[in-house]
Amino acid sequence: MLRAAALVEKLGIPTVSIIGSAFTKQAQVVSKGLGVPLAMGIYPGTPMVDSEEVLAQKVNEHLAPELLYGLTGKAPDAAPTEIEPLAGEIIMRASLEEIQEHFYQQMWSDGLPIVPPTKERVQAFLNYTDRAPNEVLAVVPQEGRQATIHAVAVTGVLSGCRPEYMPILIAAIEAMVDPHFRIQDCGSTPGWEPVVIVSGPIIKQLDFNHGQGMMRFGRQANTSVGRFIRMFLRNICGYRIPPGAGDKGSIGQSFLAAMAEDEECAKELGWTTFGQDKGFELSENVVTMHSVVSISSPMYSAGDQAQTHVQQWADIMGQSFTYWSHTGFKTGVWNPLIVAGPSVAKVVASQWSKDQVRQYLYDHIKVTARQITHYARMTSTPTFSLERLVADGILAPEYALSDDPDRLLNVILRPDMVEILIAGDPGRNQSRAYMGNHIQGPPTSRKVVLPQHWPFG
Amino acid sequence: MSHPNEPHYEVMWPLSNKAIDKRDASARLPDLNGKVICELWDVIFRGETIYPMVREYIKSKFPGVKFVPYTEFGNFHGAREKEVTASLADKLKAHGADAVIVGIGA
Repeated sequence: MLRAAALVEKLGIPTVSIIGSAFTKQAQVVSKGLGVPLAMGIYPGTPMVDSEEVLAQKVNEHLAPELLYGLTGKAPDAAPTEIEPLAGEIIMRASLEEIQEHFYQQMWSDGLPIVPPTKERVQAFLNYTDRAPNEVLAVVPQEGRQATIHAVAVTGVLSGCRPEYMPILIAAIEAMVDPHFRIQDCGSTPGWEPVVIVSGPIIKQLDFNHGQGMMRFGRQANTSVGRFIRMFLRNICGYRIPPGAGDKGSIGQSFLAAMAEDEECAKELGWTTFGQDKGFELSENVVTMHSVVSISSPMYSAGDQAQTHVQQWADIMGQSFTYWSHTGFKTGVWNPLIVAGPSVAKVVASQWSKDQVRQYLYDHIKVTARQITHYARMTSTPTFSLERLVADGILAPEYALSDDPDRLLNVILRPDMVEILIAGDPGRNQSRAYMGNHIQGPPTSRKVVLPQHWPFG
Repeated sequence: MSHPNEPHYEVMWPLSNKAIDKRDASARLPDLNGKVICELWDVIFRGETIYPMVREYIKSKFPGVKFVPYTEFGNFHGAREKEVTASLADKLKAHGADAVIVGIGA
């Protein structure tokens, strides 16, 4: 929100922004990162739980006077310039224990022990890319820092990655700084987490687990690459929970082990791989970043009929994700990711294509207009209106064909928004679904570019 | 405390340089009479109730102020963010904006 205020200030027009008191510290971090001092009026507490009377009182006694002052009073002062070390600068020589403590106190770790970023270790990572260390991939929120190749390497060291993961790490950050992904929303209150999905021969080369226990910590590639993402968001972007301020995940969740596909299984079944679904060749290595705001319960399904399994997915995904689908209704984007267990996928693929699966889920997960409106109003949007979303072209006309509050609406906005990945325990009939957070972190893919001298394949 | 024989490591600063284009805030407007205040709203957190109250409060202090409601600009955060943001400069100019109130959130 403050990005809009900064944009207007840069036009030479004074602004004042309405901020909930719980967002004040984050707003200060964002304002500083935007480089424009921004005037703010503070609403004390949480407007979504105040009565009409309390809300009126808070607006008239606190918010409105502060907004008025923000426009008519003294212009906000620029944040003082902080002197920081330069990227790559040696800042201390110390024991492992002292380094851990210093990094923790400075909020440069995720609370777990980090691997000390020595010059030699960072160079080992840089040896796995042909790109210049000072290449800037983007300037990232919240603090306006440069996401450089060097920063990727340092963060990879901290997170316990192996140097050869470097091409994966670069591709992951390239995907996340794509404007489509909206890295600026990584600190939003739903507390979603980006998951890394790896495709291609590099899965085997770097020993990613796509089988039983894929999402458990324990396999270094899956675990440390997942940790790297959260560490990068924390250190380079500045998404820090208290005593930091950039991350407003209300309860939040923490890093997810990276996913990889059982591509041999997909090929055997005659289905395209996840990487192919993203428009890449089987021989190409690909990283896809995908937000995860919610995870289904384990989806067990049985029988030798495709429909039986997919109906079970529809039931469980409907139960798990329908509430949050109002966010998809508001934004026109809603990407569920199904991790299909290999044995289940085998039954389904013997009878249905992936597109038939998508169509079935689209057709069979429903919500009433009354429910979805209620969910949206409970969350943040008392003015939620299906009719207005249709009029604005965000929802298809079918969402406002009648005013019957009990009419059934498709939860999935378009069949092609359903993502399918084959992974998990081949010896069990279990799948699982992962829900993206609407326009925040939609699936975004990047080819993994290997260095000229890649020793693994 | 670490043992004196424990190895020591020279470590790098783990963050990266900032690249911020710093600007001063725009000049404030001590008298809002005869001025135009535009509203931008991201359509959450009860703005439909809050904005009218804010309008009334400011009008009670500066009766000559004019407001351009948020409905003129669209939701600047979300599905149409790119288009709405791209159109802001022209729309604010067309409305003769002297100041803007932006809400709600962080």
